[in-house]
Amino acid sequence: MDVLGSLQYLVTGFGVATTPENLFYCLAGAIVGTLVGVLPGLGPIAGIALLIPATFNLNATSAIIMLAGIYYGAMYGGSTTSILLNVPGETASVMTCIDGYQMARKGRAGPALAICAIGSFVAGGLAILGLAFLAPPLAEAALAFGPPEFFSLMVFGFVVLSNVTGGSLIKSLMMAVVGLIIGTIGLDPVSGNPRFTFGQVSLLGGIEFVAVAIGLFGIGEVLVNVEQPAQVLEQGVLLPRFRDLYPTLQDLKQSLSPILRGAAIGFGVGLVPGPAPVIATYASYMVEKRISAHPEEFGHGAIEGVAGPESANNAACQSAFIPLFVLGIPFAPPTAILLGALLIHGVNPGPAMIAEHPQLFWGVVASMYIGNFILLLLNLPFVPLFANILRIPKKVLLPLVILFCLTGMYSVNNFMLDLWVMLGCGALGYLMRRWAYEGAPLLLALVLGPKLEVAFRQSLMISHGDFAIFADRPLSLLFLLATTGFLVLPLFKIAVQSARRRTAAM
Amino acid sequence: MRTAVGMLLSVVLTLGIVGTGLAADFPTKEVQILIPWAPGGATDLVFRALAASTSKQLGKAVVVVNKAGGGGAVGYTEAMQARPDGYTLVTAVTPLTILPHQATTAFTYQSFEPIINVVEDPAMFQVRADSQWKTLSEFLEYAKKNPDMITVGNSGAGGGVHLIALAFEKAAGVKFNHIPFAGGGPSITALLGGHVHAVSCSPPEGIAHVKAGKLRIIALFSEKRFEAFPAVATVREQGVNFTMGQWRGLAAPKGTPQDVIKTLHDAFKKGMEDPAFVKNAQDMTVNLAYMGPVEFGKVMAADHDRYAKLVQEIKKQ
Repeated sequence: MDVLGSLQYLVTGFGVATTPENLFYCLAGAIVGTLVGVLPGLGPIAGIALLIPATFNLNATSAIIMLAGIYYGAMYGGSTTSILLNVPGETASVMTCIDGYQMARKGRAGPALAICAIGSFVAGGLAILGLAFLAPPLAEAALAFGPPEFFSLMVFGFVVLSNVTGGSLIKSLMMAVVGLIIGTIGLDPVSGNPRFTFGQVSLLGGIEFVAVAIGLFGIGEVLVNVEQPAQVLEQGVLLPRFRDLYPTLQDLKQSLSPILRGAAIGFGVGLVPGPAPVIATYASYMVEKRISAHPEEFGHGAIEGVAGPESANNAACQSAFIPLFVLGIPFAPPTAILLGALLIHGVNPGPAMIAEHPQLFWGVVASMYIGNFILLLLNLPFVPLFANILRIPKKVLLPLVILFCLTGMYSVNNFMLDLWVMLGCGALGYLMRRWAYEGAPLLLALVLGPKLEVAFRQSLMISHGDFAIFADRPLSLLFLLATTGFLVLPLFKIAVQSARRRTAAM
Repeated sequence: MRTAVGMLLSVVLTLGIVGTGLAADFPTKEVQILIPWAPGGATDLVFRALAASTSKQLGKAVVVVNKAGGGGAVGYTEAMQARPDGYTLVTAVTPLTILPHQATTAFTYQSFEPIINVVEDPAMFQVRADSQWKTLSEFLEYAKKNPDMITVGNSGAGGGVHLIALAFEKAAGVKFNHIPFAGGGPSITALLGGHVHAVSCSPPEGIAHVKAGKLRIIALFSEKRFEAFPAVATVREQGVNFTMGQWRGLAAPKGTPQDVIKTLHDAFKKGMEDPAFVKNAQDMTVNLAYMGPVEFGKVMAADHDRYAKLVQEIKKQ
């Protein structure tokens, strides 16, 4: 696709997106998206699904503009409860809990919330550029990932990301193993036999990730807080001063590079099948921590640890539209629901879609720019309002958090087991906090584990049990070599250092 | 005398009301359709559209409630226990006749009264357009000579299209290497990327790529040819005596009165004929196939037995 031609189409797209009607649906989608993002449990999947029937009487372009708005709008809203209450608003906001919540406890909730909105806006805008100009070749490239490539990529991700928060390696690995074990509950992905369900029908579908995430972080945090003396519970969290509501110039400077890196990471990860926004946030956090001049601040309220992941999840959610539009294949649940919406409006996305429905494709792309801008305008003024939630005395706020978690979680699947899992994980989260175990590796393993297992078994089924399949494929070999390098280099470093020390001692 | 007439009148009146019975009164409130899967899937979309068009016929709202979990088992268990008064219905989809063989479930298809079948998805194998096999006979011939070498992706272990692929290889006397994926989308992606040789799937999966000339339908398991591709012959036409598809309909808990079932059936049948719904279905490449309660019940019974054998076979592997 030539760039000039695309630009021309994009201008036409803006014509489509700026009709009063479409502007209204874009705004509606952005608002609903922010709301479902803010409410714990209720995420973009439920939000889009619930509004599909409301679009039956709209034309396809307006409908998709609104529904897409819900998806990326949720990425803006998801950070809010992570920062204020340590409750991930949706799955891609888990990493934001770590430093965002610490910032809030130091009275810097405002800058954290604002940088999320700004980072999301910048990263979203950059990712849409990629969507507009590079969609077809990128989608083709994504097809190179078959089961063996996918397995090796997952191994790489697993090894690199499992110690993301940088505490004790042993404890991180222990938590990752717990996550892997929880991930095996349910129907076996190859034989369809039930595993670890103990005859319980309700366990056949496995354990809901959102329930574990909210339990470990949100409920666990509430339980830890309850231990505090009574007079502390009478007060709110540390109050923000007015001039602290928005980020300083220094904050913006510090955040710029993480935002740009987050955008690049998120965009790339969004093209790979799997839970892209979640992985993108982990990867971005890891990168920021690795290259930071002050890694010790991470986990204690480093603004880079908020800016990077929040930008990454937005970019990932924009680039997830590429496989959806160009291949007609959703790589993640929210885009799967959007695919349903496209089908119901008579648009069958696939290789011919951009040519067959230019109005729709370019209209939606243009509306994403407008939508991201609306979201920035929508979210920044709310920063003081949201930050003021922290003025509520803890003895009132904490029960409210539990209430929101319970209702939010139940509204996702209307499923009681989810609530018990969430409460159980809350208790587990409390114990983990007491003994300094991290929740993040557990959640990562819970997301990646089942996919890793499936890719591994698929590969071996294709090769009739021959392990060489992982080394025969160049892309797969590359990831395995990178993984080995990552594991061996630190050992090598230690060996060199101790050798030096020995020579120095002599 | 007057009292006698009065009594007689009231008896007649009461009888009249009882006689026309529940059907006349039904429905007095909203009717719920319970969907045992998360929102956004094919079943969910079809029945949300049908609920909209049937509400007009029933005069009361038809509401869709999703109850995901346990690969559908949670929703069916709950629907089975619902009061059999016609106000709680459940979508009866092929997995209803598969799940009871995979795990110990409280329900089978016999725990429900069939109301109506709405959709029958033709199952099919697709290959890449540049695949070495141009015809079904070339494909099967290669499979006969090279057992277990053709990889066939499916949308999930023990799911409908996996079991259909197993049944087809028996009918054709060949052996494929079945690779399960987490859904129809990932299996099509793997086929496009050339990581598997073929996939077993149901529309709308892959259809856009067939239309765009990137994929080809190499085996079609429906009884009649597929409307969207009239040039593609069914496998039965080509000498393999095999048809199998997946159905999506509605059922009510066992014990729901027959006249209520009839009222519901009539309303949903009219809802199916609503032009707005027909257009929705066409846009989704969903194949509408009406069946009344008796016929639908027979199909469920037959598939229940058929899947019992197939599930036993993969469990042995």
